Order: sequence, then structure tokens, then C-alpha cells
Amino acid sequence: MASVTLSKLRKSYGRMDVIHGVDVEIADGEFVVLVGPSGCGKSTLLRMIAGLESITGGEVLIGDRVVNDLEPKDRDIAMVFQNYALYPHMTVAANMGFSLEHRGTPKAEIAKRVKWAAEILGLDEMLERYPRQLSGGQRQRVAMGRAIVRDPQVFLFDEPLSNLDAKLRVVMRGEIKSLHQRLKTTTVYVTHDQVEAMTMADKIVVLNGGRVEQIGAPLELYDRPANKFVAGFIGSPAMNFIPGQITASGFAADGALLPLPEAAHDLPPRPMLYGIRPEHFALTSEGLAATVELVEPMGSETQVTMRLGGTPVIGAFRERVRAEPGETIRVRPEIASVHLFDSDSGKRAN
Amino acid sequence: MSTVAANGTPAKERKVARKRPFWTMERRDSLAGYLFIAPQLAGIITFVLIPLGLVFWYSMHEWNVLGARFNYVGSRNYEQLLSDPALLEVLGATGIFSAGLVVFNLSLALLLAVLLDQKLKGITVYRTLFFSPVVVSLVAWTIVWRFLLQNNGGINSILLLTGVEGPNWLRNPTTAMISVIVVQVFKNVGLNMVLFLAALQGVPRELYEAARVDGAPRFKQFRRITLPMISPTILLTSIITIVGSLQVFAQIAVLTQGGPGMSTTVLVYYLYQQAFQFHRFGYGSTLSILLFVIVAVLTFVQWQMRRRLVFYER
Ligand SMILES: Nc1ncnc2c1ncn2[C@@H]1O[C@H](COP(=O)(O)OP(=O)(O)OP(=O)(O)O)[C@@H](O)[C@H]1O
Ligand SMILES: [Mg+2]
Repeated sequence: MASVTLSKLRKSYGRMDVIHGVDVEIADGEFVVLVGPSGCGKSTLLRMIAGLESITGGEVLIGDRVVNDLEPKDRDIAMVFQNYALYPHMTVAANMGFSLEHRGTPKAEIAKRVKWAAEILGLDEMLERYPRQLSGGQRQRVAMGRAIVRDPQVFLFDEPLSNLDAKLRVVMRGEIKSLHQRLKTTTVYVTHDQVEAMTMADKIVVLNGGRVEQIGAPLELYDRPANKFVAGFIGSPAMNFIPGQITASGFAADGALLPLPEAAHDLPPRPMLYGIRPEHFALTSEGLAATVELVEPMGSETQVTMRLGGTPVIGAFRERVRAEPGETIRVRPEIASVHLFDSDSGKRAN
Repeated sequence: MSTVAANGTPAKERKVARKRPFWTMERRDSLAGYLFIAPQLAGIITFVLIPLGLVFWYSMHEWNVLGARFNYVGSRNYEQLLSDPALLEVLGATGIFSAGLVVFNLSLALLLAVLLDQKLKGITVYRTLFFSPVVVSLVAWTIVWRFLLQNNGGINSILLLTGVEGPNWLRNPTTAMISVIVVQVFKNVGLNMVLFLAALQGVPRELYEAARVDGAPRFKQFRRITLPMISPTILLTSIITIVGSLQVFAQIAVLTQGGPGMSTTVLVYYLYQQAFQFHRFGYGSTLSILLFVIVAVLTFVQWQMRRRLVFYER
């Protein structure tokens, strides 16, 4: 096991810059998730760590070794690809043992390691099958088996669950997490799904347009997003942003006066965004008036799309809301969970 | 049949009311299918099955066009075939030619395909270059090579410049066979090359990436991933090439006329000699039947081998 350090990492394809100076420290044994919208450079970053993509600038360190110019096989990493990249003409056992063959591992030892990995992943019955004879989830496990037999320093995962259906994704999410808890191998995991990021990560790196927006533990990002992008990306349904201005009596938005936390009253009266998560609205009898536009009962909660003055917002309530579109309900934002962002820079202001 | 349909009428009555028309969906579908294959079927019957039957019919006759003889002789041509002293030599030459051609053609085609599968500037120019002999006229191509291979021809002149005295290529049994094979391979290698190129490009890139991460060196990647993944194409090209090689004629006729001796007299050339030089059409037909049987058996065997040698994705 080893730490991984990305230092001022840059990547260009020809004249197009894709990664613009990324710094990330990954501690030994940590589970780090790179998350961000499509095209933000997650895969590129991961492939640079793997050695499948050349490095334009900066350094990648595995342990205290600079690996910029090492071939993938010399970096002691294992990678799980998005579509698994299983060798279709080899059995499950051969797929898992392939990497050991090139390390001069004796046959008996290979068989032993394959068996060990297969037991962990529940694949013992399928060692002689071919990938085409497996279900999506089983293929996913074989891909993981191929990674763990070698006992590498670092695991790299590139959206490994995106080809699975929603239910299986939740199961495999748990399996990967418990595998990590068991093996404690440093892991870099790429996904565009913020729920995966929140549930699995020790530490999340939020990427956008080839830059790091914020690095932190899942709940840190949820509780104190550093900017509007992270605030909007983490959490589902996404945070509401209400444009307006800070005044002595509260936050003046279009047709509504929203309550502010104590400390925010000292902020300069500039155009701001008032950020409030749907789950941080409470139904009350004397709150702000909101016109209901749509009610979506989810069972565990009810999502209500409503209009606060001129701004459409979403509220998520534990209570079952029985309101018809057009009706008025009264809601109150939890003051402790209000986020203020600068309108221009998007940076956090409170 | 006591079930009652949703609207209250007993199911039995409704069935009677719904009389099936003659043109059911199924009948219409099969009619369309037969119509689609009809032109092809007509072609196969006229140009394949009928000639095949005729050849078989002729093979049981003694037929001399010049002597205007056409007599039924039963199996005599076949008995003659089995005791033909030249047959072994002809089959030997055919075997050497086909084996040499297939091995040389497929390895060269695969080598070229691997080389041309690189992402380099101007690579399409090279691809076109290596493919171009395929579209050149076979006879013209062979005539050019006959000049090159003559004793005082282009190749020996070049060899002489480097101080080597080349052999008389087409007049020595071994070099004659090699020459015929090489000329044929250079003519057709582009076709297999293109097929291999397409197959190589069909191998998913992630497999190579996974293999790199797994630490497989380049040649191992080729042997363990590329070859199995393109094995269906290897089977296809080897069938095409073997069947094609058994039918080689123009090259032999232009380059060696089957000589020196019988060293390059392959089956089709022998057939041509018997039928058109010695006017023994009956025996020529018998040789055609032999060729047909050989091709059919080889194709069947290769097709059977695919189970063991070929990996299919689905
Ligand atoms: N070979 C390439 N040549 C040029 N541009 C590329 C190449 N590969 C990737 N890019 C660009 O680099 C950027 C980052 O791509 P990358 O594949 O890393 O995105 P991603 O975050 O993994 O997205 P996704 O979630 O869709 O997989 C994209 O804008 C993409 O267009
Ligand atoms: Mg990606």
C-alpha cells in the first residue's frame, strides 16, 4: 500500500488543455473519489495515474516514487475499467491470473491467489466460465478479482458501476466498500454519481472543467461547500439558489424576504445567492408563503416544487404534503443551514 | 371451452366468427422470404448446380471434341484417375503450392496489417499501395513478373549489381515453385491484409490497456489477445486463400506452363492440359470432380476446426 500524490498535474491534447494543474494528496489506505460532471477530466486524471496517458506537466507520486515515466506495469497499480475490459476468450480464472503470469509467479501460487480472490468475491463456482456466460454484476466482480489477485499498491476504478442497473449498483457499492475495509488498499475511484461519492468516499475530490473545486470528507462538502458549483453538485435533489441582496431585515429576494443567520448580517450588501437545500425547508404554520406547483410523493419524503415569490424552489419534507397545485403552503428555511454565495465569483460568503 | 370472454360471448362462438384468411401473416412472411432469395436461387441453379451435374455426366463419358466421340464409359475415367501415374506428382505440386501460398500469404498479410495498423501520417497511402495489386489485371501482372524473373530479367540484373549471380528462376523446379507462389502472394496479399486490418481494428482498445496494466509485454499481448481475438478472420482468410490457391491457373500458364518437368503442374493446370491440349474432355471432367471433392472436404474440415481454434465473442 502507498500514498498517491498529484502535484500541479496538467494534461493537454495538442493545444487543448484538459487538466489545468491539479493537486491532490491521497493518504495510504484512503478511499478517494474523484467526482464531477461528464467531460471534466476524471478519466483522464485516473489514466494519468495508471500510466495509460502521458503527463504534460507536474508529477504523479506513488509512495515517494515519481512515476511519470514508468510503464503501467511498473507502477504497481491495478485498474478496473468502466466496461470491465475482461479478456473475452479467457475463462474467469485465466482472466484473474493473467497479470500474475507475467511476474513469474509459479502456477500453483497463481491458482492459490485466484482461488483466494474468487472466494472473497463469491466467484468460486464460476472460475471455468467465460465472461460471456456471466451477468453484469458477475463480470464486475471478475474485473475486481483481476485487480485484487495482485495485491497492488493502489486500486484505480473508472466508473465501475455505471453499466449496472440501479439495484445492483447499490449492492456492488457496498461490496466495493467492504472490500476496501478488508484489504485497506489505497483506492482512487472515479464516478459522476454524487451518491456513490458520498456513500463510499473517505475523501471526495470535486472536479470541474479540469480543475479541483473542493477536496474534503463527504459531510464537509455537504455542510460547507466552498462554492456554488460544489453546493449544486453534492446533494440530491440539488440545492436551491435564490438570487437577492442582504439587507438589515433579511435576504431580499424577488417577492420574498428570507431569514438570515446572525453572522450574515455583517456581510456587505452585494448581490448574493441564497443557498438552501430542499431538505432544509420546514413546513410551519407561520413561515413564508409558497405557491405549490408540483407535488411528488416518494414514500419516505415528499418533494414539492413551489414558488417563493418569483423564484422556483424545491422542498423535501418528511411529512406527507397534501396540497394541490396553486395552493399556498408555508415553509421556513433552517437558518443554520443557509449558505451564501457571491453572485459573481460563486465563492462561499458566510 | 366454457370460458366466457370479457364481453360476455362464449369463446367458442367468437372463434367461429373469426375465419382465418388464406394470406396469414406467416404465409405472407414466407412468401416475401422466398421472393427475396429467388434471384440468388435461380443463379445458383443455372450457374452452379446444373454445370456441376453436367460435369459429373461428362465425367462418365469418353469425349473427344476433335474425333467427335461421345461414348458412355461408366466409371472408366475414375479407374484411370486412380491409376494415373502423373496424379501423385500433380497432387504433390498442388499441395506444395497451396501450403506454401497459404503460409506465406497469411503471415505476410498479418505482418503488413500489424504494421499498417499504426496511427501514422500518410498511413492510408501505404495501405492503398499494398492493396493496389489486387485490382491489377492478373495476366498483365504475371507477364510483368515473367520478364522480371527471366534469366536475364530485372531481378537477376539487380542481383548482378550486388555481385550475385541469380538462378534461372523459372527453369529450376524449386525456384520455379517459389516464384509462382511469390508472384501469386504479392498479387493477392492486399486482400487478406485488408481483412486482417479490419479485424485488428475491431479488437477493443481497453483489452490492450488492461493487458498493459496487467504487465503483458507487446509480443504476449499479440499472442494472447490479438491472435485469439482475430481468429475468426484467420479462419476466413485461410479458407478463401486455400480454395483460391487450388484454382490457380493463369499464373502457371504464363510463368512456367507447368514446368520444368511436372514441377509446377497443379491440378487445374493438369485438367486444362488433359481437356484442352489433349482434347480429353471426359477425363478433364473427372479431374474437375476430384477438385470439387478436395475443396469441399477441405472447407468442411476447416469449418469443423473453428470450434477448437476460433474464439467467438457471442
Ligand atoms: N484523446 C483525446 N483527444 C482530445 N481530447 C480528449 C481526448 N480524450 C479526452 N479528451 C477530452 O478531455 C476531456 C476530459 O475527458 P475525460 O474522458 O477525462 O472526461 P470524464 O470526466 O471522464 O467524463 P465522463 O464522465 O463522460 O467519462 C473531455 O473534454 C474530452 O473531450
Ligand atoms: Mg470517464
